[in-house]
Amino acid sequence: MADLEVPKELREEAKGHDMYLHPIDKNTYELFFGPQHMATENFSVILKMDGNRIEKAIVNPGFLHRGFEKLAEGRPYFTNIALLLRICVPESDVPENIYSMAVDEIVGWEVPDRAQWIRTTVLEMARMSAWMFWILGFGNEIGLYTAGQWAAAYRERFMRLFEELTGGRVYHIYTVPGGVRRDIPGDKWLRQLRDTVEYLKGKLKDFDEILFDNYITIERTEGVGVMDKKFALRHAVTGPNLRAVGVPYDVRKDDPYYFYPELDFEVPVLKEGDSLARVLVRRYEMEQDLYILEQLLDMGPPSGPYMVQDPRLKALPRFKPPKGDAYAHVESTKGDFGAYVVSDGTHKPYRVHVRGPSQSHGVTVLEELLKGARLADVPVILKTLDNCPPDIDR
Amino acid sequence: MESVKKPRVRIVGEEKVRLKKSFVKPWLGIKYLFKKPVTIKIPFERIEPAPKYRGFHTLDWKKCIGCNFCGQICPARAIEMTWIEVDGKIEKRPHPKVDYGRCTFCQFCVDVCPTGALGHVENCYLTTSGLEEDLELYDWVPIDPKKVQELNEKFGDYRFPVERITFNKETKETTYYLRDGTEFRFKIIGYGLKPPAAARPKPAAKPAQKSAESSKKDESSKTEEKKG
Repeated sequence: MADLEVPKELREEAKGHDMYLHPIDKNTYELFFGPQHMATENFSVILKMDGNRIEKAIVNPGFLHRGFEKLAEGRPYFTNIALLLRICVPESDVPENIYSMAVDEIVGWEVPDRAQWIRTTVLEMARMSAWMFWILGFGNEIGLYTAGQWAAAYRERFMRLFEELTGGRVYHIYTVPGGVRRDIPGDKWLRQLRDTVEYLKGKLKDFDEILFDNYITIERTEGVGVMDKKFALRHAVTGPNLRAVGVPYDVRKDDPYYFYPELDFEVPVLKEGDSLARVLVRRYEMEQDLYILEQLLDMGPPSGPYMVQDPRLKALPRFKPPKGDAYAHVESTKGDFGAYVVSDGTHKPYRVHVRGPSQSHGVTVLEELLKGARLADVPVILKTLDNCPPDIDR
Repeated sequence: MESVKKPRVRIVGEEKVRLKKSFVKPWLGIKYLFKKPVTIKIPFERIEPAPKYRGFHTLDWKKCIGCNFCGQICPARAIEMTWIEVDGKIEKRPHPKVDYGRCTFCQFCVDVCPTGALGHVENCYLTTSGLEEDLELYDWVPIDPKKVQELNEKFGDYRFPVERITFNKETKETTYYLRDGTEFRFKIIGYGLKPPAAARPKPAAKPAQKSAESSKKDESSKTEEKKG
């Protein structure tokens, strides 16, 4: 039998660590928040409480660590698509797209117009279904379950459209280096997409009534979890959270890709930086996304191939790009999502690095914002920051 | 990307985004009580999978050339090449065996198949009754697409086309009990790209050259196996 007793020095060392469970004081106690709590999804927060106020919060991620970046080094280029999309579950098209864009740049492929149009549409559809997923989570956290149920039903429409286009409902595995895997199933699909967009435009008013104009939502979120511009920029906050503190940064505008330079849309910016501002920015972005989808449908898919014509693609498992490296990033609902791919000329990538927005939102920013908050505000702050735990762990 | 002009960011005014808080508005959601529900009553109602939904595999055994492209591209390493004997005849090339305990249904294997032998159908139900023998069900060499379509037309519930798979350890004989009652028997002789002893061609008249060539082939197949 091994000696199971912990040495004295180690015990003393552990007392200095953040995670060490101190004996409960008269006034403070420790609360384990998550991962069974719905707001935290897949990670937990250890809260040191003084009555109802939080003195200190320690984020405890790592339940979902799967080592994607290392795994990607051992697999052929096209195979990695089926792996990397698991980084962000609600909008799995984003990791697909950043990786494909980076590989496209390394090889020097010019992706056909039709493929670019499809990729733009798929990204916007993914954004829309991710917003619906966010309403489901946020509505549940503040007790407005009805809005969440509606959102789940409307998300189903997009899932059906994805199913017909890509053959999968949640994990689409659709965008590959060089284009997309399948063509649009026909004009019927485009008509269905337009119907869905029109339908959701009407339903946004219902969401306003029940969720965004709601007395409860505004009372619960106003003045909760305030961050200022300087703090946000120091902690690398991106996406809607950054736009809620008054910085108009959007990758679609600042570093445009695909069809975005030709599209007309607005970037909503608010100054307050509290939870309500973050909610309202998201509300307005939903409207903009529907408007973008409408413009794309008015434009119509350009004719031409949906995949680059290259003889190297005939032997996919042994596809070798030239030496080089590339970085590509897109705007997701969570923030700025990027991938850095290094090729050493073999059929497997030398290095794949993913820059996710959730590392800053879910760990450093969250720990700061939770200081001094009430216990009931924890789910609100968590959901308005909208982090993606699989992306923290990766 | 350099030639693209950088568009100016147009910022939305605050008055456009901000909404008005209200007590009465949330109650307007009650109107949905009188509308048809979105939920589906399973098993009385069901959704059909979309055409070309990525489901179970099919394999045209005559077209398959045993190139192992499917095994190399598989992200989950679910595909293993098997040597098969049907009615005393050994198939000339190995065929892929798909393990649905590992398969992620990405269908990259279908995309890379150079002859179009490997395909897929819309059947997607992976549930079993929980018996121990059912655990062996989802590890199979896919059968002919025509047969699967026939079964789909007959039953139409998009389940796995095989009801039960048995494996006789002594004779190494595998039997597929298809859903319409027919049986399909074959022997699995060996695994991997390298042909097993029974499937190897007999040495010809000129042993020196032939053996050198065959050894080369074996080596190449070995290296491929390691890489794959």
